[in-house]
Amino acid sequence: MATNAAPAEQTLFVRKASGLVKGWSTGDGFRYSFLSTNMFLGIWGFLYAVFIPGGSVFWAAVITLLFVILEIVVYSGLISAMPRAGGDYVWQSRIFHSSVGFVMAATGWWFILWLWIPIYAALGVNSFIIPVLRIVGADGAADWLLTSNGVFAASLAAIILATYLVAIGMKGYARFQKWAIWIGLAGCAVAGILLLVTSKASFISAFNRESLELYGVKDAYSAVLASSGEGMSTSMFSGTLWDTFKLIPFMCFWLLWPNWGATLYGEVRGAKDFRKNIYQMGGGLLGGWLIVIAFLFLVTKTMGWKFFMATANDYMGAVYGYIEAPTFGSYISPTAMTAWIVNNSAFQVVLIAAISLMVFGWWGTVFLSSTRVIFAAAFDRILPESVAKVTSRGVPVTALVLMAVPSVIVSIFYAYQPSFVQLTYDATLVIAAMFLVSGLAFMIMPWKTKAIWESSAVPKLKILGIPLMTIVAAIYSAFMVFNLYLWLYDPTNTYGVGYKNKNSMIFMGILYAAAIVIWIVAWATRKRQGMALEAIAKEIPVE
Amino acid sequence: MSVRLFFATDVHGSEACWRKFINSGKHYGANVLVLGGDMTGKAVIPIIDNGGGSYTFHMQDIRRDLDGADELAHNQRAIKDHGYYPVVMTGEERNEFTSDPDKLDELFHQQMRHTVEDWVTWADERLEGSGMRCIVCPGNDDRPDIDGLLASSSQLEVGEGNVIDLPEGYQLASSGWTNPTPWDTPREEEEPLLKARIEGIVAQATVSPERLVMGLHAPPYDTQLDVAPKIDWESLTVEGQNVAHVGSTAVKEVIERVQPILSLHGHIHESRAAVRIGRTLAVNPGSAYVEGTLSGCVVELDGKNKLKRYRLTMG
Repeated sequence: MATNAAPAEQTLFVRKASGLVKGWSTGDGFRYSFLSTNMFLGIWGFLYAVFIPGGSVFWAAVITLLFVILEIVVYSGLISAMPRAGGDYVWQSRIFHSSVGFVMAATGWWFILWLWIPIYAALGVNSFIIPVLRIVGADGAADWLLTSNGVFAASLAAIILATYLVAIGMKGYARFQKWAIWIGLAGCAVAGILLLVTSKASFISAFNRESLELYGVKDAYSAVLASSGEGMSTSMFSGTLWDTFKLIPFMCFWLLWPNWGATLYGEVRGAKDFRKNIYQMGGGLLGGWLIVIAFLFLVTKTMGWKFFMATANDYMGAVYGYIEAPTFGSYISPTAMTAWIVNNSAFQVVLIAAISLMVFGWWGTVFLSSTRVIFAAAFDRILPESVAKVTSRGVPVTALVLMAVPSVIVSIFYAYQPSFVQLTYDATLVIAAMFLVSGLAFMIMPWKTKAIWESSAVPKLKILGIPLMTIVAAIYSAFMVFNLYLWLYDPTNTYGVGYKNKNSMIFMGILYAAAIVIWIVAWATRKRQGMALEAIAKEIPVE
Repeated sequence: MSVRLFFATDVHGSEACWRKFINSGKHYGANVLVLGGDMTGKAVIPIIDNGGGSYTFHMQDIRRDLDGADELAHNQRAIKDHGYYPVVMTGEERNEFTSDPDKLDELFHQQMRHTVEDWVTWADERLEGSGMRCIVCPGNDDRPDIDGLLASSSQLEVGEGNVIDLPEGYQLASSGWTNPTPWDTPREEEEPLLKARIEGIVAQATVSPERLVMGLHAPPYDTQLDVAPKIDWESLTVEGQNVAHVGSTAVKEVIERVQPILSLHGHIHESRAAVRIGRTLAVNPGSAYVEGTLSGCVVELDGKNKLKRYRLTMG
């Protein structure tokens, strides 16, 4: 029987011996989770809500949050029991099989991250760079960024910045994240106050003023509602149950990532502490969620919900070509709309820049977690030794090349092949599939790796003889299956990445096939060399 | 004929890791096993005897109440697998150990000796007739009398200060001594003394560098094998997020001069990596003993003058 209680007497005697601690603190882990469930992802994800106007954005966000909390419990348990760099790869290869761990983690933590590069770039460009260029009058540059060449150039910039953030090392990146969050939060506070004290009439006046000045659009507020507001929901609370459920996969695009640091937890101090893992991932998730929800309330009050969705529809209608004459036809960032309330260009630029640091503090995560998976696979010799090579300054140079070079190729497709943009939700789908397998691994852990389970600090409470953690993992896994069903089966043609989209199927098929081929080649090679991959992933017998 | 060597280190009293180490030869197909130091545990967990077959202890801040001899035995084994020494005592005895450092020191000494004796007996039974060579070298956290206990084994060979012949004409030169640490451990000394010690051991080797393996507990300075959080030596607290290279300059200099084919290290558990220093492959497999997982490295030497391949393991 085990209970948590603060001991009053000495419960551990320690002698003088070399002490051990690890690289990242709990605070760093929290910041990583906070930035990973990035508020800009949420706001970008709401764009897709225009396709399901009958759903409630608010309740979809609440339901998704509840299930993602289960994800945090699952990952806290896995991390606590096996705090290893490589995360999902290590757990799945040890609990299931080397092949399962590699195929799921290589696709979910490595290959699909190539597609995230243009997505990260699009967020940075549309939320920060273009709004600022418009304010300073550099319309030519802003327009160029929307061309294929501009999209590709932005992706290259994202690759360079992400590479730099990884190259400066964990410590340096953690410091950058700390500053990005503090400045970003200060910006959010200012934006929140502005939205709170501004009346709807004042906002409309400011929006019309800036739209005329920056885009040449007259009476823009009414124009957006007229061109793109038809059929949009009037409240973030109203909606049918099924349509609200259908919004959940879009919410996953924003909220599914508090565990993004899972591959790094071998380097987080105190990672064996189950509760601390919950606190840091849960804190990161809830912090970001609350800010975005507060923003939605303020949007409803000051901008009007229907107008907010109409601006989203105006952009999506232009991208997908279903609105013939959109008012703007380009993305009007909610950050910019908020900054426009103050009629001062310098203030607008500073506020947009401050809040956008949340995006740039997050950019390094696209490569950092992946390099750990690549390292772990190289340590196990599925990948060659050279892949784990680091420079004297600790830069994982080969792993970075394996991330950066294919990202350039995928970015070319994204920029110059319009149908590739529709594959955006593959980026979530492939990772969700990997998370599902980790959920299943945690579900069977009490039986499959009994010794590790029993020696871990994960709560062992049982309900009807079944470990509570197994039940949690089963519910979480069911949630992931539900999302995968919607993405892949896509009964209402909403997500665009299901079996009906041939390009999506081919793209994902290539990713999984590549991972399978690499594993088979490694398996055959290592077997010929006299040590099967299974032996490396398997626990040495104790008795 | 090639030689397949399995190296692990820093098991720190973990019963599970020790047993896995002894069983690793069969698992990885290795014919030489090398343990790189720090065998003994760092902590004693007092299991308080409440009387009437009831016991209480805390592990990882979680209180556990036990009922009966079976539960006690099961949990004692679990504690040992984590690398702690479980000691059943009364509340009064616990208070005495708390207030009397000498008595506590003697308790540690006793536990370490008993555990190593048990381990030696178990290893002798397991390795007898296996044809496997098993070399164990204590580390900076191990008290000097451990060497004598290991030497009493019929199957284990003691590495400390020796050059040991390996199959196919290879030799292993070992030392568990390190450069100074903030904890003033039993086998540490200033860099010049450490360099003289290592040079003295290496001088006993009679093979060319291509046939020489060095097993030095301290990792070489300023490599990926020696990165640890920076620690304030007075308060023994971690200085924020700062990390530092804490390896030995003496070890690095000897590797650079001698250029053995392989150099095996431990000491810094979180610096699991392998690097090339000139022609030498230097490895620190790290340690995850608290989980009962054995971090290690399998190395294949081609029996001539090349290192065929290596891989880090977590078994």
